Amino acid sequence: MRARLNTIHRAKEGTWPALRDKYAIVGIGQTEFSRDSGRTTRTLAVESVRMAMVDAGLQASEVDGMMSYSMNDSTASPVVAGDLGIRLNFYMDVSGGGSTIEALVGLAMGAIEAGMCQTVVIFRGMNGYTQNRIGGTGRQSPAFTGPMLDQAIHGMNSAAQSFAPSFMRYLYEHGVTSEQVAHVKVAHSKHASNNPKAYYPQRVTVDDVLSSRWVAKPLHLLDCCVETDNGSALIVTSADRARGLRQTPALVMGVAGRVNKLGAGYHWPFGPISRVAGYYAAPIVFGQAGIGPDDVNITGSYDAFTFTTVLQLEAYGFCGEGEGGDYVSSGIIELGGARPNNTSGGHLCEGYTHGIALVAENVRQLRRQADDYCPDWRAGAHTYDYREHGCRQVRDPEVTMNLGWASPATGSALILRRP
Amino acid sequence: MAAYLGVPVEISSNDPEHLTFLEAAGRGELAMQRCVNCARLRYPVGNACPFCTSLESEWSVVSGRGVIYSYEVVTQAIHPAYRSRTPYPLVLVELDEQRQVPGPDDGVRIIGTLIDADGGPESEERVGIGLRVRVKFVPLGDGLALPAFSLTDEAPEVRAWRLGETRPPSAQ
Repeated sequence: MRARLNTIHRAKEGTWPALRDKYAIVGIGQTEFSRDSGRTTRTLAVESVRMAMVDAGLQASEVDGMMSYSMNDSTASPVVAGDLGIRLNFYMDVSGGGSTIEALVGLAMGAIEAGMCQTVVIFRGMNGYTQNRIGGTGRQSPAFTGPMLDQAIHGMNSAAQSFAPSFMRYLYEHGVTSEQVAHVKVAHSKHASNNPKAYYPQRVTVDDVLSSRWVAKPLHLLDCCVETDNGSALIVTSADRARGLRQTPALVMGVAGRVNKLGAGYHWPFGPISRVAGYYAAPIVFGQAGIGPDDVNITGSYDAFTFTTVLQLEAYGFCGEGEGGDYVSSGIIELGGARPNNTSGGHLCEGYTHGIALVAENVRQLRRQADDYCPDWRAGAHTYDYREHGCRQVRDPEVTMNLGWASPATGSALILRRP
Repeated sequence: MAAYLGVPVEISSNDPEHLTFLEAAGRGELAMQRCVNCARLRYPVGNACPFCTSLESEWSVVSGRGVIYSYEVVTQAIHPAYRSRTPYPLVLVELDEQRQVPGPDDGVRIIGTLIDADGGPESEERVGIGLRVRVKFVPLGDGLALPAFSLTDEAPEVRAWRLGETRPPSAQ
């Protein structure tokens, strides 16, 4: 057995700025996950931003920053702010999908720290099923040109197709099996069965995953996440301001944003190809937070695919290199286990909005407000009975971590804690 | 006009690197940029050396021989042009040149399709990590071609590994 990565050791003492615990996520808002939103990305964004403001107890006059991310498939901040009567002192709409939300939380902190604004709402509004299908289905390039001549032209056009060789090499190098990896879907489906919002609330078995049709070997259909329509929003402000607001704040202990491997546009020459960007993000985010993997109670490891969860948990040192298969099939990542992952059901089961919902879930967990089937969840009253249609709240979590994924070569991380 | 599977291939006038690469392939040569300063090969085409930042490079013809470093089998095409070809294996080929350079896990690696003698997708039962391959060229028209790979009868470097085998061979 190989030694666990010593992420603390890799972080240099005194390298990190002293922003730990000075900023917080104070509001969350989400529309339903569906495949027929029946409304524009503008509507989804406006609804989710307003819900986050109500959640936080903030008036329009108290929000003065806005950020969003999209893949040229959404609505710009000035339009959304205008609808809600918010006059902005700062906004920035960036291009990006997975791993963008963690980076934007850090950039929102930077904007506030620089004095450009005081409170920033971040949103992602997308019709990921009814408009731009995120798996690529139905889209086609009119011509192959530029960098598409290096990879896409060969028939490598979707996320599944682009990531699969990394996953295959991982199985080869470490002797991990498809059956072990399937436990990620099994665990997340259990969590989703206790989440009334989940698009796929049905529990599945390892056999269900392994007998589902192939998409791009080694990926079965049930190794791949769901495509949905959804709007989600978060609000970031200083810990000082957070004290006067409605909810228990989720304090930001550390953040790493869109950390790359070498050659992130075509990372194949630089190995090991099964080592993902989180390997480089880990010392940054743990270094800021001053904690290690053992101190984290809940992970939110981006599950665009079952494999992305496994590879990231390894990269951040939650288990040793090559031990990801054992880790995810041990029960640790399930509700009731030592460190549950994606308690909402994640992208595999709850729905897909490029990672922002996974951060919202961790904020809920820290507040003790997992919106499960417990009648008084809003008051923090939970049964901790994790059977189907039961509780989804982890008992007394203090620290959560999100592991964002854009590709094997690009990732982000965010550590939050309860005050 | 050059095209692949019916989809136009357009090389813009300010992209001489891709044009040179695909023209060499049209002549039956796998050509790569070699850094004039540090002499390392790079792929895909790029505007600077990723190992020393030098902007100067020259074209070098390589053997086109190598080993399957990883692979996948696409069973659900996304781009409509590929639907008639599923299932098709995609391979990541590590070329014989410049292996384990600059680091022990680095190399010159190319994505391509694995094709059979008729140019169709190779049978997926025959694909595996560790198998030896050589480059083939698929004509695109206008004197251009696209590299692809086919299996050779050389002995594999390590016992070939395929998805579903419970333990890998000792790779090193």
